[in-house]
Amino acid sequence: MNIGTRKILDRSFTAVGIGSIIVMAMALMIVVVPIVTNGIGAVFFTGTIEHRKMLFNEFNRGDSENLSSEAASSNRYRAKVYSMMTGFEAELETMVPEKQAEYKAKYSQVRTSLQALLGPLPGDPEPMLTRSKYGQTRWEKAEEKLHDLLYESKWDNSNPDVMAKEYFVSRAIGFEGTSLVNLFPYVENNLDKILLPEFTCYWGFLTDSSVDSHFFGGIWPEIQGTFFLAIGAMLFAFPLGVVAAVYFTEYAKPGFLNSMLRSANSTLAGVPSIVFGMFGLAFFINTMKVSESKSVIAGALTLAIMILPTIIRSAEEAILAVPKTYREASLSLGSTKWNTIVTVILPAALPGILTGGVISLGRAAGETAPIIFTAAVSVGSAIGLADVFSSPTPALSWNIYNLASEHEAASQIRHVQYGMVLALVSIVLLLNLSAIVLRARVSKKLKG
Amino acid sequence: MTVDAKDISESAPVQKATRDIYLPPARKKITGGDTTHISAKEFSIYYGEFEAVKRVSADILAKYVTAIIGPSGCGKSTFLRAINRMNDLIPSCHTTGALLFDGEDVYGKFTDEVLLRKKVGMVFQKPNPFPKSIFDNIAYGPRLHGVNDKKKLMEIVERSLRKAAIWDEVCDRLDKNALGLSGGQQQRLCVARTLAVEPEVLLLDEPTSALDPKATAKIEDLIQELRGSYTIMIVTHNMQQASRVSDSTMFFYEGVLVEHASTAQLFTNPKDPMTEDYITGRFS
Amino acid sequence: MAEESGGERNRTNAFVVSARKRTMQKLAKTAGEGMLFAVAAFVAVIVLFIFYFVARDAIPFFQIRGFSEFFTSTNWYPADQPAQFGALAIIYGSLMVTLGSALIAVPMGVAAAICLSDILPFSIRQYAKPVIEMLAAIPSVAFGFFALVVLAPLLQNNGGPLLMWAWWILVSPFLLLGVIVLSDLLTSNIRVQKRREQLHILYLILFGLLSISLLYKVGTALYGIQILTGTNALNVSIILSFMALPTIVSVSEDALQAVGRDIREGSYALGATRAETILKTILPAASSGILAAVILGIMRALGETMVVWMASGNSSHIPEPWFNYLEAIRTLTATIAGDMGEADQVTGSARFHVLFAMGLLLLVISFISNLISERIVVRQRKILSGQ
Repeated sequence: MNIGTRKILDRSFTAVGIGSIIVMAMALMIVVVPIVTNGIGAVFFTGTIEHRKMLFNEFNRGDSENLSSEAASSNRYRAKVYSMMTGFEAELETMVPEKQAEYKAKYSQVRTSLQALLGPLPGDPEPMLTRSKYGQTRWEKAEEKLHDLLYESKWDNSNPDVMAKEYFVSRAIGFEGTSLVNLFPYVENNLDKILLPEFTCYWGFLTDSSVDSHFFGGIWPEIQGTFFLAIGAMLFAFPLGVVAAVYFTEYAKPGFLNSMLRSANSTLAGVPSIVFGMFGLAFFINTMKVSESKSVIAGALTLAIMILPTIIRSAEEAILAVPKTYREASLSLGSTKWNTIVTVILPAALPGILTGGVISLGRAAGETAPIIFTAAVSVGSAIGLADVFSSPTPALSWNIYNLASEHEAASQIRHVQYGMVLALVSIVLLLNLSAIVLRARVSKKLKG
Repeated sequence: MTVDAKDISESAPVQKATRDIYLPPARKKITGGDTTHISAKEFSIYYGEFEAVKRVSADILAKYVTAIIGPSGCGKSTFLRAINRMNDLIPSCHTTGALLFDGEDVYGKFTDEVLLRKKVGMVFQKPNPFPKSIFDNIAYGPRLHGVNDKKKLMEIVERSLRKAAIWDEVCDRLDKNALGLSGGQQQRLCVARTLAVEPEVLLLDEPTSALDPKATAKIEDLIQELRGSYTIMIVTHNMQQASRVSDSTMFFYEGVLVEHASTAQLFTNPKDPMTEDYITGRFS
Repeated sequence: MAEESGGERNRTNAFVVSARKRTMQKLAKTAGEGMLFAVAAFVAVIVLFIFYFVARDAIPFFQIRGFSEFFTSTNWYPADQPAQFGALAIIYGSLMVTLGSALIAVPMGVAAAICLSDILPFSIRQYAKPVIEMLAAIPSVAFGFFALVVLAPLLQNNGGPLLMWAWWILVSPFLLLGVIVLSDLLTSNIRVQKRREQLHILYLILFGLLSISLLYKVGTALYGIQILTGTNALNVSIILSFMALPTIVSVSEDALQAVGRDIREGSYALGATRAETILKTILPAASSGILAAVILGIMRALGETMVVWMASGNSSHIPEPWFNYLEAIRTLTATIAGDMGEADQVTGSARFHVLFAMGLLLLVISFISNLISERIVVRQRKILSGQ
């Protein structure tokens, strides 16, 4: 090969390497950016009067005078809509039967769309579910519902070779010649006066309980549950892990037993997380009976086992990084071995140990599989500290899965799901970031 | 091979031959220093199978400065570290023969190595202050041994720092991190830290090898200051240093104590040809 | 003793203690060490417990149903009467996404590790490492959510164009490189310079046209593909590769760093370019460590639950044809997670025990690969330290 080609190969080799790192950075961005941009929308969004009504009724929050004046102005426009509807209903009665049947079917679709947009219409029975008591609380959702009201979605099946395509037909055309035809442009033009959108900063998303399985309200029970589980796991795993690391670094003598223990540690680190969940169910709940069924304590114990190897490893590394000279200096001053460990080695290794601990805390907070069978429930209120031994808890990680995959109206509460993901990712990344900063500061300090 | 410790302890009074080793011609006389403080009898140190120090017999007189010289890997550091049992940190290390300190076997069955190290302080090659404040560094030892009174600690800290000739440099920043000091200051701090435990013996393991000439001179001055108050043993690579600071010198080669004589004699009129080769620089 | 000056040599603070005190000290030391050992051994006890408790609930399944159905049948109807427990398609699904993620993550991960250890200057490495750590820290459920809510609709609606662009962007640089190298190799033996240059250009044009037509043909074929469901093996493989990457990068970087500087310098001194040095001397020396990294990364993908549960489609059949990554599949982990709630725990039915059988299978695979990777690392360390 000539030297030119070799150089080209060399350059492209470098490019592949740098490209891989760029792809990894982009992967991080591609995953994190939509989560952050959409997740922020759970707290900051354009809220409608329906949102303020909901807050007032369900959480007793907001200014009642202000709200009633807003409601009055909204109702002026709503009354027009309602009167159009009653007008059309009267017109419907006078139609010939086959035409009447045709329009009735179309009209009921319109009614449903209006209910979704504005909340219960006059004459509707009191709704059972909280979600039906209010119209759209978020402006961008309201615009989607407006589109549903204005256009009917149809599927084009004419070509059997390709997948069916969706297309939209204006509903107004369907009501050509009736009095209802005016309703569509009226709602379209006056929706902002009906719903009164304004910028909303809903911090309650982080501190409120959810209403009607996360249709409204916040995610406090999940956040609290996540903290209970993660901190509970740390309470068990951290002391155990540090003591085990002290044994491995300071006392273990090389030999068969020691290599067995080390193998066990790396085996534990490699166990798939779902198997921890099965073990937690089979051991802590079915055998040890730490609780009747799922509970925070069972989940915390399971998570503790999962993060134990990580804590041991990072603590070992931190202890081994303490210069040997500290040990010698302390011993030569007449200190016992144990005293040296407690007064010199552990304090010097503490930042490193804490770094590992913080990262493990993040891992415990983010894991889902081990708590599915041991601690997590889909809905529920925040539990008290006294209940951790007996009752399960909602947790961010599990509820993200649950709301995204199993919720009956998953696509309608995307903002809640995004908000939860953002909350979880922020908790975990903040913990990791603080660990990185801590480590950087410590290495600077140790260098003097 | 093993010498019974009891028998040897009877021989604590110094023989004439031993005293001859310490004939510091031009130095001030040391009072009360004519006793054997440390004494090795057929003393060997092994790392596993390897015999690092071979059947060394020597008497070290109290309150004098004894230098240990020899090429790298000759066992001089190993011998020094054996005196306060720092070699215990190496799992494969074991000894035969006897090493007596005040007539008691250092490796005896009933020896408490922690109490031993309290009496035999050590300063290492690289300055190794703890990442704590200067005060806490000095107070570390006294606190270990039960001194908790703040006023008393302060006294000890000041006395130790003064003895180590570093008090004037650090007295206004006792609460600052010791790692902020210069290398030479750190090493004198380490000496002060050792003195705070009130040891009888000071072991210096190449204390100036990581320091610049100026800091080295200060440490050497310090050794002169401490001479007469403590039994000092210093391992050094630097033969000029050995001749400057010590009263007697031991020359080790491949684990064997080749010659032990007064410093003046060893450097001017060595008995062993090997010693002569070494001090004249024919090998190192 | 006459010369002894009394005060200094008094025995009260001597270092020799009484036999009784010494025994007590030894006892206390042994007891303390014993307690520390007990804590350290706790980990080993847990591992044994995990094996015992998973196996305890797995064995009844094999006692009731035997082995052959579980490993050879693809009929997974655990809720039917009579129930069928053929897990072959599920095992195949697990292997499929694991392999798929490895195909993406291994080349990228190794390239990135080489880049970090040998190519990038330290200042950039400082920032690249936290990025990798962040990627490792993102919870799996967040990845799963991304796969389900962002990536799946994207694949479903714009699958064809996406595949085409991916093909073009990923393959065209390598094809270009191949053309240059191939035409160089084919002409390098010709002595006459003029003829060689003419032939070189001829080959360049010829192979260039060939590769452009290849790019175009495959590109248009990919463009026409309709992806029926966005929750499929491809989606899961991509996301799992993101999750396996940090492990592969950090462990192989350690392996590369363990190869000493002298080997690198020796190669440079012989006139090798950086790429040649890395490919011909460093990679072979670090190969076993990199293999260990790959095994650990693959295990992360095989054991991952949430992503596959949310975004694999959970349909237990072997795709048609068998390498079709655009179909929905189902994996062992997702089956365990999804069915445990429905499986009747109290009566201990076969439906409950089959999930533990799957767990045992995962556990055994992870245990074996862990042992292998550990042995590999130990061996490499020995070889490099010259023992």
